Amino acid sequence: MAALTLYNYELDESCYKVRLGLSMLGLTWETIAVDVFPGKEQTTPAFLAMNPAGRLPILKDNHLVLSGTEAILAHLAKTHDASGKWLPESGAAFALVMQWLNFSARDLDATIAARQHSLFDAPGDETALRAASVKALRVMDDHMTARGFEGADWFVGSDATIADIALFPAFALSRDFGIDHDEYPALRRWARKFRTIKGFITMPGIPDYH
Amino acid sequence: MTTGNMWQPVSLSHSIETATSAGTRLCGEDLVVWRDSSGVAHVWEDRCPHRGMRLSFGFVRGDHIACLYHGWQYDTGGQCQYIPAHPDLEVPKTIKVPVYLTEERAGMIWTTLAADAGPLTVPADETGTVPVQSLYVDCSADAAIAVLESMTLAPFSAGRDAETTVSVVTPSLYSVSTGQDLLLVGIQTITDERTALHVVISGLPEVYEGGGQAHFLSWALDLRYRIETPPKKTFAVPAHTVAEAL
Repeated sequence: MAALTLYNYELDESCYKVRLGLSMLGLTWETIAVDVFPGKEQTTPAFLAMNPAGRLPILKDNHLVLSGTEAILAHLAKTHDASGKWLPESGAAFALVMQWLNFSARDLDATIAARQHSLFDAPGDETALRAASVKALRVMDDHMTARGFEGADWFVGSDATIADIALFPAFALSRDFGIDHDEYPALRRWARKFRTIKGFITMPGIPDYH
Repeated sequence: MTTGNMWQPVSLSHSIETATSAGTRLCGEDLVVWRDSSGVAHVWEDRCPHRGMRLSFGFVRGDHIACLYHGWQYDTGGQCQYIPAHPDLEVPKTIKVPVYLTEERAGMIWTTLAADAGPLTVPADETGTVPVQSLYVDCSADAAIAVLESMTLAPFSAGRDAETTVSVVTPSLYSVSTGQDLLLVGIQTITDERTALHVVISGLPEVYEGGGQAHFLSWALDLRYRIETPPKKTFAVPAHTVAEAL
């Protein structure tokens, strides 16, 4: 078995975040496909033994079994990025990356729920999820508008970080749950820049052309 | 009250980079705003005549915009020039996207749904403009303008407070001035209940880029907050007085 193994579902944006991280860090990894829809294989005993929460992604790095998208991204950056750019160690930059990872895990959960409701008929209050998603995307657009005035391209610091990786799919896939890119000009600019990072890959719902 | 037959801004110029596109709406009509590789802005109906796909999902190649679905390519006049599935076909002239009059003025892209609208009356920029932000709010243009007219603006250039003056330039363009600073706010009627306010600084980039933009972004976010958060009625102020103030 390869050192890095990703338990993956192709249509899951959280798995996509990890695939982006692995690819942008230039790593090689083995993918094990999991039948999430309709099989719910991630909630069967073999998977609950790896992540009792019953969710993907799960990453195996030799003997370490890790779940939680943001934790996986942080682990990859900490242990597999010699440049140190993807997870900066200096005080403020480190703290701000953590802030946006926290935003990704908490505030962007509405976008995940909205998309799963839209694509897989998962339960949820469509109006409330839409409103929470719009609110979160607007926070991101306001931030990147202000960052643009500082001449900055990324959410934190002067280089792309795992914060950008964690935040990208919610915007890139927002049309899946009925939110257009029309009213987020700063995010459109950021997403175009993000797509030029070496190792960028798409997933279903994100066009190759742009 | 403005209508789609009058000139209205549909984007900050800054928000549509060369060779990119974005969707928007004007009085309920779906539009694609795009900029060709020579930098010229275009506003069209946002609908590919082939299968109705939004052209704003598409991509710009040179002076053509191509539909994301099947790659049909349209020139700057809206005429379909190339269908990838039929590379040798001379495309019929009837395959054409409706295009709208488009001008760039005051740091914004302007259009009108009327083919016979007179010339755009927004004055030409004398000193240049610096972009701030587009604000999107759930209310009518009139309601947004009422809040705009109540705003005070702290000056960036002069350190002390000065009087704020809000004036009408055209029905879709307001100016807000204080001391030596002047903001322009373009009003876009997306629908009767959705409005965009496009905010730019009228002035030199070397004066306002960076700190000046951040200063007026705070003001713009305050404006958006006030539009979205109507003042609470209190016992001290009768309800009809609040209504009149709005």
